[in-house]
Amino acid sequence: MSRYREIVAALAGAVLMAGVAHAAEDTKVALVPGGPHPYFSAWEQAGKDAMRDFKLGAADYKVPQKWELSQQNELLESLVTQGYNAFLIFPGDPVGSVSTAGELADTGAPVIALAGCLKDPSAAAFCFGTDTGNSAYLGTKELIKALGGKKRIAHFTGFLVDPNTQLRIDAVEKAAKEEGAEVVQVIADIDAPEPAEEKINAYLAAHAGEVDGIITTAWVPAVVSANALRKIGDKRIKMVGIDHDEVVLKGIKDGFVAGTMLQNPYGQAYIGSFAADKLRSGCTVKADAPFKSNALTNKFIDSGTVFVDASSVDNYVASMQGITKDIMATFADTYLACK
Amino acid sequence: MQAEETSVTAPNAATRAEGRVGSPRFYLTNEFGLLVLILLFATIFGLATSGFLSKFNLFTLGRVAAINVMIGFSMMVVIVTGGLNLAVGAIGVCAAMMCGWLIEDIGIVWPVAIVGGLALGAVLGFINGFAVVRSGLHSFIITLASMSIFFGGMIFLTRAESFRELPPFFSAFGRLKIYGVVSPLLLVAIVVGLLLIVMYRYTALGREMLAAGAKPEAAALSGVRVDRIIIICHMLSGVLAGLTALLLVARNGAAIPSMAGQLGQDWLLPAFLGPVLGGTLLTGGRVSVLGTFLGAVLVTMLTNGLLLLQVGEFWVQACLGVLLLIAVLIDKARRTFLARRRIV
Amino acid sequence: MQSLWRADWFGPLVVTVVAIIFIAAFNPSFLSPLNIQVLLLAISVNMLIAFSQMIIIAIGQMNLSVGAIGGLAAISFAGMMEVWGLPGPVAAVLALLIGVVAGFFNGFFIAWTGISAFVITLASLSIFKGLNLAVTRAQPFYGVLESVKAFGATTFLGPLPWLLIPAAIAFVLTWYLLNRLPLGRHILAVGGNAHAAELSGISVPRTIMAAHAISGLLAALAGICLVARLQIGQPTIGDDWLILSFAAPVIGGAVLAGGHVSTVATVLGVAIVAIITQALVLFHIDPFLVQVVLGALILWAVGVNRWREVRVARSLKRI
Repeated sequence: MSRYREIVAALAGAVLMAGVAHAAEDTKVALVPGGPHPYFSAWEQAGKDAMRDFKLGAADYKVPQKWELSQQNELLESLVTQGYNAFLIFPGDPVGSVSTAGELADTGAPVIALAGCLKDPSAAAFCFGTDTGNSAYLGTKELIKALGGKKRIAHFTGFLVDPNTQLRIDAVEKAAKEEGAEVVQVIADIDAPEPAEEKINAYLAAHAGEVDGIITTAWVPAVVSANALRKIGDKRIKMVGIDHDEVVLKGIKDGFVAGTMLQNPYGQAYIGSFAADKLRSGCTVKADAPFKSNALTNKFIDSGTVFVDASSVDNYVASMQGITKDIMATFADTYLACK
Repeated sequence: MQAEETSVTAPNAATRAEGRVGSPRFYLTNEFGLLVLILLFATIFGLATSGFLSKFNLFTLGRVAAINVMIGFSMMVVIVTGGLNLAVGAIGVCAAMMCGWLIEDIGIVWPVAIVGGLALGAVLGFINGFAVVRSGLHSFIITLASMSIFFGGMIFLTRAESFRELPPFFSAFGRLKIYGVVSPLLLVAIVVGLLLIVMYRYTALGREMLAAGAKPEAAALSGVRVDRIIIICHMLSGVLAGLTALLLVARNGAAIPSMAGQLGQDWLLPAFLGPVLGGTLLTGGRVSVLGTFLGAVLVTMLTNGLLLLQVGEFWVQACLGVLLLIAVLIDKARRTFLARRRIV
Repeated sequence: MQSLWRADWFGPLVVTVVAIIFIAAFNPSFLSPLNIQVLLLAISVNMLIAFSQMIIIAIGQMNLSVGAIGGLAAISFAGMMEVWGLPGPVAAVLALLIGVVAGFFNGFFIAWTGISAFVITLASLSIFKGLNLAVTRAQPFYGVLESVKAFGATTFLGPLPWLLIPAAIAFVLTWYLLNRLPLGRHILAVGGNAHAAELSGISVPRTIMAAHAISGLLAALAGICLVARLQIGQPTIGDDWLILSFAAPVIGGAVLAGGHVSTVATVLGVAIVAIITQALVLFHIDPFLVQVVLGALILWAVGVNRWREVRVARSLKRI
């Protein structure tokens, strides 16, 4: 927890330097994740900082009570009624949220897909987040690099109803194929800690000898696998995790985890709030903006992914800061056309 | 405790079901109590928040309520027989995905595709009903397993891919605002409710369902084919679940595998909330269509009001629980009070 | 032999043994010490969850809030260690107390108002889960003491996890309660026929409150054990207990209407679900097919028991 505050404070300081001043006091930004999840907690501070730095009317973090599409829709609808006029949304479903995004845009509010994308065509101005497929692909490459010669990989990931899960499975498969490695097992549907613990431990108990590396592409499986490897005390099996949970970071320091693919939630919310305000106050998305493409959309902006291992884990705060600062410095010029 | 409650209020299951406006007994019914609570909370939210009575909010409120009401109906028709259908969510998603597949991959016109989706709902419901009747196991365990099987089959066949190349009619229907406030989804829910009322009150089939739920042995003796009735109830539940899912397709503009959550579990709470608050007995034999409708509306309204009141974002759920508890307590107090006055 | 065949735990036992033999034949590593340890870990916690629901099924009600109570106790346990720096046992006792209070809260409102347990526990599910979110803001507590972590991760006598001990104690006490103590008889009597129980002098409200308090205690114990097993105070603990909590007692032949439950058969029900889950991983089932196979296997397990019941009923008729 305390480490987290450090990061947030440091990031806020760093980004302040970039300094932007276009007041829009009546802009009320809503930052809406898909449900309660530790990944998004940096959004709250980022929103507060953005509100202060860009003099917004509000940039509030609003969490749906459960990880359900219908709950998120209800919340978004009530936010319209409450007078919010700019929306940064982690789509509960890349396709299912398109219609809600359209309704929000119909009220005249800019909508940006944050951390995860909506499937084209949608009313979202653009998608600003981690390219989930690419992150899984790069993570697998890093894992194979760490493995050296031995190349049998197990992949642990989240809910199958989440279409990102299929993207991740495909990306891991692709990276493995390119390096001549083999994905011997995919375990999915383990976003809750209890089943994750049960399945991952059962797998390791029976098949630990048959795998050399583990790639995890969801928060809970990463935490559970890191703990499981520590428990077995097996440093032969290399693992690459995802995100910045303390258990994973500590695993990296102690040598049970090879590394983790960090994402940039603070930067997403901070820069996203900035962009949403700009879009409200007369700016438009440049027609020739250098968007990237991913499996879902052609209007994708990468919020940055960093691989950290034992050598860089202590300084990961700085590397995340650096990325946020870099994106912020050129963001308006690159992507927005303002009068 | 529960025995006492039923003996007071249910001398005749079928007529009790809808209550009669005007008779003193009407003021004792669940339906009247829910109506009072809805008006009470609507007044509170209307005064305490600025946007509650705005056109936009009433529109979205109605649209959300319509889905919850329909989910409640699809569970209610099985509860009537004393059974449960945990697979409502899974069946619903299967039906919606079937409809999406027929339109997008097979290229069938949408009205036929809708019928296809509903037919799949009926078939899956039939499988549930048939398994319950043939095995003699409680429907709880059958539908628990079939929920896994149906949903797993859907995920396996679709690979969690959505169908969104639907005719614009679908999403237009979901967004349509009649007089700026009323969602057509709500009208569908009301029409379905009216049809169910007619069925339970005026058709032999409806009365046989109630009889089979109240006292299966007695019903069988009087010539009701209880097994057949149970299968029909499950099929009806499947069709209603499919219809609900199709309304959600209209609302979301696409048929998506995650619309009812993992295994369709997201539907379970709304599925029970409406019927139970509305006074449908979980043991079967008594049903209140109007109560189910009002129960679902009440819960939807409480959620919406709490969100608008801007209680701290992590407190909404705790407050909803407390309000729900207060609501049932007020209702209980009302009934006790009236019952006492009538006796005195 | 005849009496064995008629015992309600016989069907689940046969299923368990057949499943073990079948899986071990195809994959000998199933019986490796490490695998047995993993299996026992899963069984011990899930057993507590199942007992927590079983007690309520015994009085003919449902407790939808088992997961919410367990989750609240779990995060309180971890939170008290992290934030207040309390020693493990003290935090555990306080967390158990929270479970008892939460269960008593359910029981009190059900007994006092006479409103169905379903509605009350549905409301309290929101309250307890809401408190959980309000306290944690969806952030896990990491400050679990090393001693607690060790309790969740280490074993004795070879493959036996320490977590088996609280589960075993709960098993013995629950069995004793339901089969030997007056309170257990009262619970089953109320579940069988509340009216008749009242006429025979049993205080129905008091029995309901006691049953719910016990249910809360068991749910809290499950939550605490999970914190030890997961090494972390996850706010999502308990979110998906509901289905399991019903499945195990029902596979074990519990009657949802109340009055009849079997502690031994419920444990076997838990074991069956755990073995099936593990087998799916062992046999490399396509992840997209896991749910289908799981559902089919549960049907098979209850089907076997049902078949036995039908045979017993027929043979009784013949006599």
